[in-house]
Amino acid sequence: MTEINTPTEPPEAKTVEIPETARTLPSGEREFMLDVSTSDLEVNMGPQHPATHGVMRILIRTDGEVVTGGQVHLGYLHRCAEKIGENVEWLQYLPYTDRYDYLSAMNNNLGYSLAVEAVMGVEIPRRATILRTLCAELNRIGSHLIAFGTYGLDVGAFTPFFYCFREREWMMALFEKICGARLTYSYIRIGGVFNDAPVGWLKEVERFCDVFEEKWQEYYDLLVVNHIFVKRTADIGVIPAEMAVDYGLTGPMLRGSGIDFDLRRDVPYMAYDEISKAGVFDIPLGRGEKGTLGDCWDRVYVRVQEMMESIKIVRWCLGVIEDGPVIGDIPKVIKVPPGEAYVGIENPRGELGHYVVSDGGKVARRCRVRGPSYSNVAVLEELLPGTFLADSIAIIGSTDVVIGETDR
Amino acid sequence: MDFNAIHQRLTEINAPGLLSADTPRAADPEDKEDKGRSGEAYILIDPSAAPEFLLAVRDDAELAFDILVDLTATDPDVEDESLWLNLHLLSLGHGHRLAVKAMVPKSDPVVPSMVEVHRAAHFHERECAEMFGITFDGNPDPRNMLLPDDWEGHPLRKDYEFPKEYHGISCE
Repeated sequence: MTEINTPTEPPEAKTVEIPETARTLPSGEREFMLDVSTSDLEVNMGPQHPATHGVMRILIRTDGEVVTGGQVHLGYLHRCAEKIGENVEWLQYLPYTDRYDYLSAMNNNLGYSLAVEAVMGVEIPRRATILRTLCAELNRIGSHLIAFGTYGLDVGAFTPFFYCFREREWMMALFEKICGARLTYSYIRIGGVFNDAPVGWLKEVERFCDVFEEKWQEYYDLLVVNHIFVKRTADIGVIPAEMAVDYGLTGPMLRGSGIDFDLRRDVPYMAYDEISKAGVFDIPLGRGEKGTLGDCWDRVYVRVQEMMESIKIVRWCLGVIEDGPVIGDIPKVIKVPPGEAYVGIENPRGELGHYVVSDGGKVARRCRVRGPSYSNVAVLEELLPGTFLADSIAIIGSTDVVIGETDR
Repeated sequence: MDFNAIHQRLTEINAPGLLSADTPRAADPEDKEDKGRSGEAYILIDPSAAPEFLLAVRDDAELAFDILVDLTATDPDVEDESLWLNLHLLSLGHGHRLAVKAMVPKSDPVVPSMVEVHRAAHFHERECAEMFGITFDGNPDPRNMLLPDDWEGHPLRKDYEFPKEYHGISCE
């Protein structure tokens, strides 16, 4: 019998011969070419790529696994919204606002309506203001659910995506009951809202809040504090506070870097002054809990916490809503007096600004839209160099970009 | 700070390029043609001093306009001889806003780039350049942003003519 554990002779270590093909560079230096060479490689990520959340192209330069440069190319979804705004009547433009950030159409309607109202100087009935606030906050929850669910997809967690869609489905059913549409609402109009909530609708919103609070804890435990998720996102894509301000980031991107600023509290519009003075909601901030302040995890954390803050505002609205008219005295064909106004509101992705100029006619002279995602993606060109290729997906996802809004 | 306080402070620190302020006013009852002006107030500046103006209002502790929210332009009319350059500023610390306007002549639409002061200006300048034909002198990467590279004309100008065809695709 042969011994089983006979130590065999180790194979003779082969020396790998490195072909030293040398060449002389124009400068006179000798360069040695090794058999493994990593040179810069340019890769087009997109325009069709699941991680770009739409038709955005990022030209990534890589050296092996390391990203050495990134360039954002936009415009694949450009639909001339601003030009259309100068060619259609004030109210006719409203459905176009649904289509830039299609995940938060209520907020877009609101931003445009407030800008036109700022030039017109009309009074909005109390019930309309409360309904507007309620719908905008419900829509914020829906939008953050998508942001959070798809971000899970980006980093390899498939299940939370379905859970998020389950709750969002209910939210869309609520909107369908109040305005008939599931995605492009055009519910918030110039002067108020389009019609009153149907009987029993407010009760159902309350039930949604009760159920959502329970489900929210599930998402939190399932993904946000999940060890694998934390490993993928903490310390990745760090945006220091100064960089965030320099790039004009707004919304959760800014708060993820620890800057305590929210337009709803600091530059209040509608009933938000009253709401923030009553201490209804808090403003969640990134604290660098799992890694460095301003990393991808902080941004996700801010969005997830904001959903619960929105629930608090919705509950406040349900408490104070009273009967009354839902739209002010607005003519069928709106004429806006000469003037101009810029109104910025807190969209789920940051500050959505509308700059409208009127010459007194039925059509706008200028209808500028400042989409938050447009400023937010600009920071990618600075964040991507120096990261690993796999992390670049996590970084792009954490900006929560909606291409309909960057391209308009 | 409200608009009047901001304007007063701008005069006090002698902000570069500051020209005047325009506030909303009611219509003159005597004049039938006059409809007044509604909406919000703005500051008028000299476009060639725009970067210095932004730097001055950013670094002043009382104003502290640290975020350039929006940079865009407006073509008021075909007959008008100038474009408006519109800047919208926001202060995170004080929570106040400022609308700034500058008249850029259509005959020579060149404005110094503001990227050195606010990196946020970069993408907005590129969009503004392709849509209005304003040249931002010193922009590090002045390619088209939303339009194809070979697009002709500046779509948001009031005298823009819609193309008849694009690469063999009829637009009529």
